[in-house]
Amino acid sequence: MSARKVARQFFDHMQAADVDEILCMVTPDAAVSLVPLQVHGSMVAEGAAYLYELARSFPDLVIRLRRLFVTTDSTAVAEITIEGTQADAFLGAANLEKHVDLDQAWMLEVTPDDRISAVTAYWDSNQLYRRLGVKRLDKITITAR
Amino acid sequence: MDTEALPAGSGTTSREATARATVIGFFDAYRARDVERMVELCGDNADFRYVPFEVWGRQRVLHGDGKVCTVGKPIWTALIDAFPDLTNTVTSVRADGEGNVAVQADISGTQTKDFGVIACAGGHYELPHLFLFHVTGHGLIDDVVSYWDNAQWKKQLGWFEVD
Repeated sequence: MSARKVARQFFDHMQAADVDEILCMVTPDAAVSLVPLQVHGSMVAEGAAYLYELARSFPDLVIRLRRLFVTTDSTAVAEITIEGTQADAFLGAANLEKHVDLDQAWMLEVTPDDRISAVTAYWDSNQLYRRLGVKRLDKITITAR
Repeated sequence: MDTEALPAGSGTTSREATARATVIGFFDAYRARDVERMVELCGDNADFRYVPFEVWGRQRVLHGDGKVCTVGKPIWTALIDAFPDLTNTVTSVRADGEGNVAVQADISGTQTKDFGVIACAGGHYELPHLFLFHVTGHGLIDDVVSYWDNAQWKKQLGWFEVD
């Protein structure tokens, strides 16, 4: 396999809410940085928690891979768009059943034996909260229909 | 801090080295707040996309999406005008052999003027960014994309409206 294929598989599993499959793709000590959440930890703990919440909150999640390249250190760099309709609270925002589309960038560091050793993700939470109907960043749970 | 390009792997090709050098030069120019130099490092028709940049009006949404010369340059100029001590620290540079470069950089500055909806309260921010470039074989940037978290940016500057 290649880092490119690993990345495609990672996002296929994310779309299918197969968090356990994603965890099978990572090394035991794989790190995760969810930059906008200021979450830095392990894929098996913090990474999995985020992915489970994403899957629960957006059961119709669609992931569109817009750009993918692999750097010489075997890091897959991807631009994706996630789309879905909110079905549960997400990152503190109440469920208003809003449709969300959000551009994100992910970096997956891939080992020579095709395991993912580090995951870093970037997106704009302000865009996300705007789409979820949140009005204030210091009161995420206050929303407007 | 000066730019520290962290090497990514071995076997650097000349295309990769050229792309790295261009991008490092771009951040050097940005750190020097030399917008003309930043633009010089881009091709005449270079594409520009600052993903979080959205201005929601009553009738339409303006996106930070277009060309370096018509959208990028005014945004960089306005940022430096509002944050006159704007600087950056490059924390990683990763490139392939086809001109694609990913740069993680922390950008920081102190606000002295209103910027968009963010009224000036004299706040200081420091924010991680991811930049994705494409550099031609001639060493000119022909595509700039950037991601950051506007929510953190606004909160650090004391502005809490999602807008």
